[in-house]
Amino acid sequence: MRKRLPLLVILALVVTFGAGAQQKLVDIELWALGAVTEAGAPPDNWVGYQIIRDKLGINLKLVLEPSSPTDQDTKISVAAASNSLPDIFGVNRDMLMKIARQGLVAQVDSMLPMMPIRTRDHYSDPVLLKLATQNKKLVGLPDPGAMPRVEGLVIRKDWLDKLGLKTPKTLDELVEVAKAFTFNDPDGNGKDDTYGFGAWYESTGLSSAGFGRRFDYIMGAFGVAGMWNLESADKFQFNFRDPNFRKAIEFIRKINEAGIIDPSWTAPNKDEFRARWKQGKFGIFWEQFAALHTTANYKDFDKNFPNGELVPIMPPVGPGGKSSNGLDIAGARIYAVSTKAAKAGKVEAIARLLEWMASPEGYYLCGFGVEGVNFKKDAKGYISLEGIQAELAYTHKSQQPLTQLRNMVYINNDIELKVRYPSYKSANGKTIDPLAIWNFFKNSPYTESTGAGMIDPPSNVNDFKRFYDENLVKFALGQQPLNDQTWADFIAGMDKLGAKDVEKAAKAKLIDQGMLD
Amino acid sequence: MRKAGAKDEILYQIAVNLYLAVIFLIVLLPLWRVLMLSLTPFGHLDNSFGLLVGPKDWTFDAYAQFLSHPAFLRAMRNSAVITLGGTAINLIMTVPMSYALSVKSLPGRKWLNIFVMIPFLFNPGLIPSYLVVTSLGLQNTLWAVMIPGAIGISNMFIMRNFFMEIPQDLTEAARIDGASELKILFRIVLPLSKPILLTIGLFYAVGHWNEFFNPMLYLNDQKLQPLPVLLRNILMGVNMNDYVEYDAFSTSSVQSLKAASIFISMVPMMMAYPWIQKHFVKGSLAGGIKG
Repeated sequence: MRKRLPLLVILALVVTFGAGAQQKLVDIELWALGAVTEAGAPPDNWVGYQIIRDKLGINLKLVLEPSSPTDQDTKISVAAASNSLPDIFGVNRDMLMKIARQGLVAQVDSMLPMMPIRTRDHYSDPVLLKLATQNKKLVGLPDPGAMPRVEGLVIRKDWLDKLGLKTPKTLDELVEVAKAFTFNDPDGNGKDDTYGFGAWYESTGLSSAGFGRRFDYIMGAFGVAGMWNLESADKFQFNFRDPNFRKAIEFIRKINEAGIIDPSWTAPNKDEFRARWKQGKFGIFWEQFAALHTTANYKDFDKNFPNGELVPIMPPVGPGGKSSNGLDIAGARIYAVSTKAAKAGKVEAIARLLEWMASPEGYYLCGFGVEGVNFKKDAKGYISLEGIQAELAYTHKSQQPLTQLRNMVYINNDIELKVRYPSYKSANGKTIDPLAIWNFFKNSPYTESTGAGMIDPPSNVNDFKRFYDENLVKFALGQQPLNDQTWADFIAGMDKLGAKDVEKAAKAKLIDQGMLD
Repeated sequence: MRKAGAKDEILYQIAVNLYLAVIFLIVLLPLWRVLMLSLTPFGHLDNSFGLLVGPKDWTFDAYAQFLSHPAFLRAMRNSAVITLGGTAINLIMTVPMSYALSVKSLPGRKWLNIFVMIPFLFNPGLIPSYLVVTSLGLQNTLWAVMIPGAIGISNMFIMRNFFMEIPQDLTEAARIDGASELKILFRIVLPLSKPILLTIGLFYAVGHWNEFFNPMLYLNDQKLQPLPVLLRNILMGVNMNDYVEYDAFSTSSVQSLKAASIFISMVPMMMAYPWIQKHFVKGSLAGGIKG
């Protein structure tokens, strides 16, 4: 018997691996949201295909969806209508809800236990899970989207220091600093050429209509950031109905009348706004951390003001003790599994594929390419390009097809972000760390407003928004008196355009979708 | 009296020329602005009205960004194949049908005309078309873009009307001499129909060259995607990568890229137009004479 043991082991191995080799490959068609769609899909000889085939028993057919969300919707809706959806596909939330109601996507709650690593790293945020839930069932898998809370309030610290001022904490203190920045020559050039506040008129969509997001820290100090009060179903309404909203507008009117805000703010020009803070025209403004502090974006400011220092500060506390840096609207990259795939028994294979992508092997391969060829990693797993041939680096244009699936594996962790937003030295040797700025913003108060992104605009959205925007700007610029009568007229005008109906429909939708309790 | 007539004539000429100059400017200025935008370097868009005069220091960066894209030549080739192949299919299918419906002695001609009009008036819609294309196995092949819409009904009627304008005596004489309909078509009708063939061919070609929707829908393999799809993906990519440094491969602003993409798309058709211009006017007027 002992002599036969090795033979039996060999036989067992042959049977095991033989059976494995003969196991039929599962065909999985994945329509992915490519990271750089125009660069094209991974080549046919991509090592990932081989690993997925050999280790997972999956024959992956990868199609990159168009990069425009509208085109993605068109492609998916046509495939849905003709019952030819792929096995797994990236889809935006509205489209997902629509096709889920038609029974075209599978419920995926049962997939989570099959993917412990991925569930922990990707699907543990309750807000994101809500985005892919319908009737309390998960109908999509929400991967973390773009980095959250990336914008916030910044101030010229070198100006504060020169004028001997402390970092402002309240709205009143902020106004005092703005006055000093305007009238006390903070740059010391002997000219009256600076302002306290800077902004640009960034009215976008229904969730950030009016002055837009650059004034969120002011509106937030009055507890009325954004269009909506989403605190609870009881309190749900347009923010303009809140008396504090009028107070916020009065505040903006006052800083405008005091001449302590750069008057160019009414021009809707982002490039002009950015050019002006780089030229040192104002010292208090609200900006995105990468637009502010990454190498390419900081260099002009650095050149103009080698001793200049832009630092993030907490949003000011308003008269009621409230503060907010802006709206926190969570976004997700949602993948759905078609009912057709579920019926064909492919759910387990899809879970296997997704779990592999979340494993170290899949994560690095899909996110950064082949170790030693496209990147290097240190003992902690951090990425480096030292010693990597420039043309082969995963960041090089030519290598983009290899990491098209990176948005399916990225989770905004330090491994991804440290290499994406590296720290560097400024002209005078200061260390600039963009991620430190982001971490500051991330930990500052924000107003949770994910539901705002789901509210359907009314059919007359253009008239609705135009009336709202124009009136707010006229109030702020003093082109229209701001008193009880004019304010009541403004609200009556909004109601005439259907504001009450919009509120009613929005409330019903958000309650239905579990975004409002 | 004579002097007054000459004066009127001069005034008339001035008015006409002024009118034409205004029309010319209305057409030229947007094109000029687009051209200037496409040549404007990154970060020089502060004063866009100044672009009417010309940027201070111009650059071909936006064009270079498109032309140096690894998929550009492939996309260009795909567009050329779709345009040439699609137009050939269109003409091969449209000419015989137009000719047949132009022959007054064709039995049931009236009913055939009505039959042809039905899909023109009642479009089958996107989903049925998608199902037909996919069930025929055309998806992910260039045929999926070239074959659907092989006959454009309005083009077919314009061509039919042109054929009907050819003197009947010529075709009747040929019939009396024993020529078959095919022989009449190839030996008599087509040699007389250069203007309409070139005009309708150009209509079809422009349509194929600008084809975006069908390739986006049917061509999943990126190796098959034509130029408009690639240009749109590049533009959308630049839009989305506003802040991210290592993703931002763009060396030009979105506005410059958009403008350059418009010019890149226009150039081949602009080059083709002068060659067929003399036939184009005649051909494009042909359809309106007979119903």
